[in-house]
Amino acid sequence: MNKELEHNFIEELEKNQNIVHKVCRIYTNNQEAHNDLFQEITIQLWKAYPKFRGDSKFSTWMYRVGLNTAITLYRKRKRSIKTEEFDAFQYKISSEPYDDTEEEQLKLLYKAVHQLNDIEKALVFLYLEDKNYKEISETIGISEVNARVKMNRVKTKLKTILNP
Amino acid sequence: MDELELLKKDWKKNEDTKYPKLSYNEIYKMILKKSSSIVKWIFIISLLEFGLWTAISFAFKNTEYNKRFESYHAENIMIPLLVLGYIILAYFFYKFYMNYRTISATDSAKVLMENILKTRRTVKQYVGFNLIYLALSAFVALGVQFDRDQEMISLIEKASANGEVFKFYALTIIITLVFLAVLIAIILGFYYLIYGILLKRLNRNYKELKKLEV
Repeated sequence: MNKELEHNFIEELEKNQNIVHKVCRIYTNNQEAHNDLFQEITIQLWKAYPKFRGDSKFSTWMYRVGLNTAITLYRKRKRSIKTEEFDAFQYKISSEPYDDTEEEQLKLLYKAVHQLNDIEKALVFLYLEDKNYKEISETIGISEVNARVKMNRVKTKLKTILNP
Repeated sequence: MDELELLKKDWKKNEDTKYPKLSYNEIYKMILKKSSSIVKWIFIISLLEFGLWTAISFAFKNTEYNKRFESYHAENIMIPLLVLGYIILAYFFYKFYMNYRTISATDSAKVLMENILKTRRTVKQYVGFNLIYLALSAFVALGVQFDRDQEMISLIEKASANGEVFKFYALTIIITLVFLAVLIAIILGFYYLIYGILLKRLNRNYKELKKLEV
């Protein structure tokens, strides 16, 4: 029984692991931290799995546990974070042609996102994942109206960081 | 173009290939590893504390001082105090466990944080209780000694013969108070250090969430 649970869990997580990687991408800016957080989210998911009743999709549930872990449960190791580190972060680079200015702008954008606080990062992440305000409000635990208001503030804040 | 839209476009680009792909076995290995989460550490530290207090009380059980104390025959005061102490400790133990059980990562971020802060409140009450209990026990013990300790009684008699009863009482009580204050300060500093470190970031996030409510 327990083995079966374990097997189902690992298969589901293997299939949906991108969600966890994406949470890590928003919250960390180097490979070591990424792996650290990935592991902690995996452990929290596994611990919470017996309570997962299938009321929602496995992926929806993963968003929630993943973000909660990043915002609240995870003990960030003390280390000095340099923004430059993010540039060195090895994500597989697209093979598509791109123009330099856009690439440069994206780099700055990711840097700006990393300067936001944990809650703001969660909002940006859910927004990038095309979640609607209802889903955002449920995941974070605030009202839909507040989620909308806060999202607009985060957009403004990002603009300010980018164009000081 | 809106900055976030540009970011979103890039975010979605090559979603399936740009992240590492962990194998079944790699994930399996991960779930065997130990969690380092804040809540787990709060729970473990409270358990250690519980153990520490119990150990201290047992360590004093067979000391010279304790044997002398037994000769006062003050059981009718000390035993109820001890029983009361253990009942309250058991209550906290139960609460710590329940808090630990109710915290699950599946609630919304806000509910989860509220639960963690509730755990912290319990810890605070626990600390408060321990300190009050410590002070209370110290004074009850002092009172019993004034009343029944032969050495103490002869000292009091000597002092009253010199007309210094008040001075003697005041001095003893002040020394006890100073000793207690130092002890309490050390314990508080210790708590502040441990829980402060664990909960600093969490508090900041909780405040941030609270701000969203306004």
